[in-house]
Amino acid sequence: MANHHDHNAPGHPPEHHHGGHVIIAPSTLLGVLVALLALTGLTVGLAQLETLLMQSFNIVLPQWVNVFVALSIAALKTTLVVLYFMQLRYDNPLNTLVFIFTMITVCFFLGFTMTDIGTRRSIDRIEGEYTVAGGTGLDGTGTPITVRAAQAASNPDHPLHHAWLKAHGHGEGGHGTKRNVGFPLPAGAFEGSSAWQSRPVTGLTLPGFAPEGDHGDGHGHGRGGH
Amino acid sequence: MATIDVHNAPRDAAGEALPLYKLYRPAAHYRDREHEFDAVKMGVWVFLATEILLFSGMFVGYAVLRMLHPEAFYNGSHYLEVKWGLLNTVVLLFSSYTVAAAVRNAQMGQLTWLKRNIVITMLCGVAFLLVKFVFEYSKKWAEGKLPGMFFSYPGAHDPSEPLWWGIYWGATGIHAVHVTIGIALFGWLYLGARRGKYGPEHYTAVEGVALYWHIVDIVWIFLFPLLYLVH
Repeated sequence: MANHHDHNAPGHPPEHHHGGHVIIAPSTLLGVLVALLALTGLTVGLAQLETLLMQSFNIVLPQWVNVFVALSIAALKTTLVVLYFMQLRYDNPLNTLVFIFTMITVCFFLGFTMTDIGTRRSIDRIEGEYTVAGGTGLDGTGTPITVRAAQAASNPDHPLHHAWLKAHGHGEGGHGTKRNVGFPLPAGAFEGSSAWQSRPVTGLTLPGFAPEGDHGDGHGHGRGGH
Repeated sequence: MATIDVHNAPRDAAGEALPLYKLYRPAAHYRDREHEFDAVKMGVWVFLATEILLFSGMFVGYAVLRMLHPEAFYNGSHYLEVKWGLLNTVVLLFSSYTVAAAVRNAQMGQLTWLKRNIVITMLCGVAFLLVKFVFEYSKKWAEGKLPGMFFSYPGAHDPSEPLWWGIYWGATGIHAVHVTIGIALFGWLYLGARRGKYGPEHYTAVEGVALYWHIVDIVWIFLFPLLYLVH
């Protein structure tokens, strides 16, 4: 091989060209790995910090904060992998163009879809008919699949009976009992969630004025027992 | 395609057979090896663009269902154990490092280390699948935490939880299929490396498979926080 020189000599440039190909120094690769691992640890740490804040100090951060922070760190990790491990930094700029336009496409895809879903409640409330879509696994009898699974497991012979016992051990009271989700919830969690509704709602849709007949499967105010 | 006639191949000054990577001739429609390398690399990047869009479909599905069923996704993420996701993340990040090192080994002609790094990367992929199947998938299957209509876990707190499981199994399942394909590709690379096919003059295949593996890693980098950490 022509031009054979010591790649590990001090003062040797970190990346250099051999016949047009850039060779990245091992120290750069190792540094990027360490940075990636550190950022991973940071992501996990911040997520646990959010849980800690909620449980110990009852500070509930809006959900988008955690999502935004986690995805930003993930984007930073991706940038490091793409630039250094995939060597896009030293590559033909056309490949960078391909990658960037792909990411722009993904942003369009995600952005417009989320904007659509996220603003569906903001239409005319008096006359608007809107559907908060999404299957609930309702079968012909109208029972959600999760309720059916719970009913099946209430039988002591069912192989998952132990899980049913654990889930229904306490919290069997009537209206107003907070259900047992296995971890502490802050006060007022999910009271205003509209995810229970899976059918068109017409007429006055202001809170408190929703038509009564539409809570077909028995989920009225608050959280009753199962 | 480029074929190597080993018997009539040129030999070095001492009459010894040259390693295969020195005998490589690019396909006839390329100007030279550099031209072929650049073209193959760009082709791989365009393919990776399609892979990114494939996974972005899953991510948009996640976003849509999460916005429509926030409670199910809140509950769902608590079913997953962060430690296995974290272990898998570390394994994949390390495997990205070893495959980047393998490319460097090929560029530098360090053929023993090239083979070693290919094997290490492959083992990391296998470890990822083992953790996934043994510690995560098998338990969830046994407990009935399955997607959509197959759901039979009795302790669900929200009627939409089968949707969360659909996203979980779909996204991680398709990712696991990609990891399996990557392991197979590394096996193929190893067989070639053993024959001396890859070296400083020709390492296009190593580069291509490495790029694919980095995308697999990047997808997991995004899947891990979205499924395990965001509550």
